[in-house]
Amino acid sequence: MALKWGYRRAFMRCALIFVVGVVLQLVVGDLDNSFLRYPWGLILAVNYLYLIILANLYAQKWQWVRRLSDHYASASALASMVVMCIVFGFTRQDAATGGVVGALGFSRMTSSWPFNLLLLYFLTTLGFMAVQDIRHFRERSLVRILSHVAPFVAIAAMMFGSGDKLRVTIRTSLDRPVYTGVDRAGRSVELPFSVTLREFKMEEYPPKLYLLDTQTETSSKEFLSAERVGDNLAIGGWQIEVREIVDMAGRIPEEQNFRPMHHVGAAPAVYVAARNVASGEQREGWVSCGSFIFEPAYLFLDSRHAIAMPRREPKHYLSRVRVEEMSGEKTDYEIEVNSPARVGSWHIYQVGYDTQRGRWSTTSVLECVRDGWSPAVAVALWLTLLAGVVMFVTAGGHTWKGRRQNLSLQSSEQGKKSQKGKETKR
Amino acid sequence: MIWQQLIWFAAASILCWVTGAVLAFKVKSIKPAAVVSFIGSAIFLSYIVVMWVSLERPPMRTMGETRLWYSFFLSLAGLAVFVRWQYRWVLSFSTMMSVVFICINLFKPEIHSKSLMPALQSVWFVPHVIVYMFAYAMMGAVTLFALYLWFRRSKQPSAEELGVCDNLVRIGWAFLTLGMVMGALWAKQAWGDYWTWDPKETWAAATWLSYLLYLHLRPHIKDNNVTFALIIFSFLLLQMCWYGINFLPSAQGASVHVY
Repeated sequence: MALKWGYRRAFMRCALIFVVGVVLQLVVGDLDNSFLRYPWGLILAVNYLYLIILANLYAQKWQWVRRLSDHYASASALASMVVMCIVFGFTRQDAATGGVVGALGFSRMTSSWPFNLLLLYFLTTLGFMAVQDIRHFRERSLVRILSHVAPFVAIAAMMFGSGDKLRVTIRTSLDRPVYTGVDRAGRSVELPFSVTLREFKMEEYPPKLYLLDTQTETSSKEFLSAERVGDNLAIGGWQIEVREIVDMAGRIPEEQNFRPMHHVGAAPAVYVAARNVASGEQREGWVSCGSFIFEPAYLFLDSRHAIAMPRREPKHYLSRVRVEEMSGEKTDYEIEVNSPARVGSWHIYQVGYDTQRGRWSTTSVLECVRDGWSPAVAVALWLTLLAGVVMFVTAGGHTWKGRRQNLSLQSSEQGKKSQKGKETKR
Repeated sequence: MIWQQLIWFAAASILCWVTGAVLAFKVKSIKPAAVVSFIGSAIFLSYIVVMWVSLERPPMRTMGETRLWYSFFLSLAGLAVFVRWQYRWVLSFSTMMSVVFICINLFKPEIHSKSLMPALQSVWFVPHVIVYMFAYAMMGAVTLFALYLWFRRSKQPSAEELGVCDNLVRIGWAFLTLGMVMGALWAKQAWGDYWTWDPKETWAAATWLSYLLYLHLRPHIKDNNVTFALIIFSFLLLQMCWYGINFLPSAQGASVHVY
């Protein structure tokens, strides 16, 4: 006797998809998404959507279609994704191929067959729901429509567009135009424009002073932020006070003192006075993190402890670049973290700089990203955001007595309407 | 240091919240309890604002700082549920949970840096964290309520009580969605990818899907054990997402969400 459709069979279907995925993983190896490159990604996406819509139109005729969009299918697909995400979360993603985890592709989850097949199944059940919601939009709430349609579009666009995404890292040096970069696979890629770094600018946080234990080579958790003269803090039994701050300083090799130096390679230096709270012992001297020119300076307090300044943390850094397109058009941009430049279908992101030189860096690492599917994902994400807002606004209504009565009245009227509609069609 | 003043603000807030919780049981009208609890939350918020000004950046970077928001939103979530559905026990619950998180901050003081790395300097930073903390607070509240209903021996959970669970999950899930989407839009702006399956993102997806599974299963579940078990299981996933990944070997050095 055939097993009745329900949770058990729905979960068995997911288990079967998982097994098929495992077999494919073992036989074929990792899933390579390069087959989704334009135009194939777009062609497949259009056909996939067409099939979902077509199957939906015949849902009354075909039982298997109905079984892709009922709550058994949704629940089993959701539960499968929860399990896969948990496995994903517990597995280190390091491209390892050894062991059971590696062989099943779990250490490269985004390229593994079991994960991608289950994700596709989840997306398909979501797609069926989304199309049904659109078809019957008068009977469905806005929250329901948005929370099915928007994530479907977002995930589908991210999935089918994954082969089209191009990320090219470029290392720019001052006043030298760069035409080529390196993609994630290490291949050289020619850009449709050139990028010239005109200026790299960095603002840093004030110097921080830590108590260093030279025996254990550990620094204190507490630190004194040297923002202004007179700042003081007790760390590890020493009262430390800032006496002088020089933002750009240097030290001639024969000298002990730091002096102001407005020159490339200048380092911050702080003159510090420290007093042992218990013994009253006093120490004074310069502390500096040094730079690529100057050695760091420490203030030794006793045979074990010293005051040290690590390299200052960057607050902001930006690259002023000139982009020249194929047409000869030149445009200047300021690129910083969270503020990329847009050049046609490309975005240029600030990624890094020469950390050895810090604020004196003359190179800037930028990443040029071309993602043609990005606008579709963005629209879908904004709609998902709207779904969240509408869901919050309407969430409490379910227990309000009046609202509940209204809802039940509405639903009974809608039920009658849809029943009437069906009868008329027949 | 501003952290040393936490105890005074916390003491005043806790006093108000406890008074509010007692008034909720003693006085028939909900107004006195609601007003006193609100004052407690306002005092606690004023501490967060003072800290914000003192640090010269939003206090949302470290675990200790996010715990402050969690305590604040828990008190607010409790108050909202109390005012909306008039459950007299809810203020005791929210007070208890807020106090636990304040105590963690008081007894395990952490030194907090003023610096905020460039990636966190975004218009998305504040709404992303606040929305998530509110969602966590809602999910914390519903977990406690579910535990209470599950182990209550006196009577079976009523349909109305289960409805409260559903509503709290629905609100919490709406906020999880907002937090996740804001994070995705922010990630695109910062790194050029909406989603990279960073360990934090992976656990956020697991949490989001698990609560979504609850919302899909709820109308069809007849066994309350499954309902409560799913709420608690989802909350465990949320713990992994919030701070569990800091201890997870698979996430060490692999996440950009380090604080």
